Amino acid sequence: MNLTLKIWRQKSPKDKGRLVTYMAKGISPDMSFLEMLDTINRDLILKGDDPVAFEHDCREGICGSCGFMVSGQAHGPLKGTTVCQLHMRHFTDGDTLVLEPWRAKAFPIIKDLVVDRSALDRIIIAGGFVSVDTGSAPEANALLTPKDNAEIAMDAAACIGCGACVASCKNASAMLFVGAKVSQLALLPQGQPERERRALSLVTSMDDAGFGNCTNESECEAACPKEISVRNIARLNREFLRASFSHPAK
Amino acid sequence: MSWFTKALKSSVGKKFVLGLTGLALVGFLIEHLVGNLLLYKGADSFNGYAHMLESSELILPAELGLLALFLVHIVLAITVTVGNKSARPEVYSMYASKGGRTLASKTMIYTGILIFVFLVLHLVHFRFGVQSLDAEGRRNLYAAVLALFRSPVYVAWYVLAVCLVGLHVSHGFQSALRSIGVNHPKYAPALEALSLLFGFLFAIGFSSFALWAHFFKGGS
Repeated sequence: MNLTLKIWRQKSPKDKGRLVTYMAKGISPDMSFLEMLDTINRDLILKGDDPVAFEHDCREGICGSCGFMVSGQAHGPLKGTTVCQLHMRHFTDGDTLVLEPWRAKAFPIIKDLVVDRSALDRIIIAGGFVSVDTGSAPEANALLTPKDNAEIAMDAAACIGCGACVASCKNASAMLFVGAKVSQLALLPQGQPERERRALSLVTSMDDAGFGNCTNESECEAACPKEISVRNIARLNREFLRASFSHPAK
Repeated sequence: MSWFTKALKSSVGKKFVLGLTGLALVGFLIEHLVGNLLLYKGADSFNGYAHMLESSELILPAELGLLALFLVHIVLAITVTVGNKSARPEVYSMYASKGGRTLASKTMIYTGILIFVFLVLHLVHFRFGVQSLDAEGRRNLYAAVLALFRSPVYVAWYVLAVCLVGLHVSHGFQSALRSIGVNHPKYAPALEALSLLFGFLFAIGFSSFALWAHFFKGGS
């Protein structure tokens, strides 16, 4: 396959950046998208040029490291797939693809297709966890969990924090990410002691980071590689409002 | 900052109030549509209904309440939109939906602005513009409706405006419910269908008055 790639090149956070055209020749349909970029980078390095910077780690769709816009769609045209698991057979010989980084005020560009997603980490630090004292593990059957709740919590916990929800949302909102993090713990007994504080802290941290507001378009759900449901956003709204009225802090 | 102010100023709080006011305005639209159906019954019924409303002691608090609902809804919608624009200072050179967005959802602020313009004109024409009285000494709104809809341009503008109201509500109703936390696999599909139904009802229902007046009553 031969493809034309228009890739966002930006040397540093302060650089203006621009789309640069590259020709990808002799691409195997069995390659992953990142492997295709690897071949582009090999050629660039051999020519003495700066390779295209993009984030990646597991290349199995589970770590949440990779992600950029492929012709205007987060992680490319396939649903429920990260860009590392997107294969070139889904494109047609002769296609022109535009590769851009996630764009959001809260995700400043570091270089080329790499953005700083530490705003998501700061949201988790604000309370997206369960405080557990060290010691021996408790007896497993001591914590009773309804099966249905465990299933919904597990679906929410599938979020890999890639940032595609923010990237695809026209408002650059992080509500799906925060909704998933609040839901996965609000539905389990382990999450109860910090439930209210967590909902309040995560929303405050999200707002402070400069993410936009949710306008319920569900584009985030459509773009999420883990297909996290927007019902988690409704749950986040409930959790936040409930916590606002009932949390002891004034 | 008190817990209440903090909650209202948060992104979730703003959307909660935006949703609540939107739902209340849908309630008003239902009442307005049902009341306007009296046009089909004739001048006496329609003018009598309008007179009953206007002479009620509750009309002033009701109108002030409506004004507050509209103002809060509009101010919050603008605030949220401005915040959303600043959350993505640099736009994509190419963007394509993966399936979530609809025509209604992506045009909410634009349909909202046009509805506001329509609302102002609507109030100027019908709330403050009609002074002539009928034989019973009531404001002759029935005659005013027929006179205004004699103009095909006004009919076209009115039909366009109420179709925009329908488009706005078709996304707004379900969006408002989600913003206040109402969403469950058991009933979410029914509420989404209801949202579309409201959109169609408002578009077709209000359009019918203009088309009926123009084509069947000849504006006379």
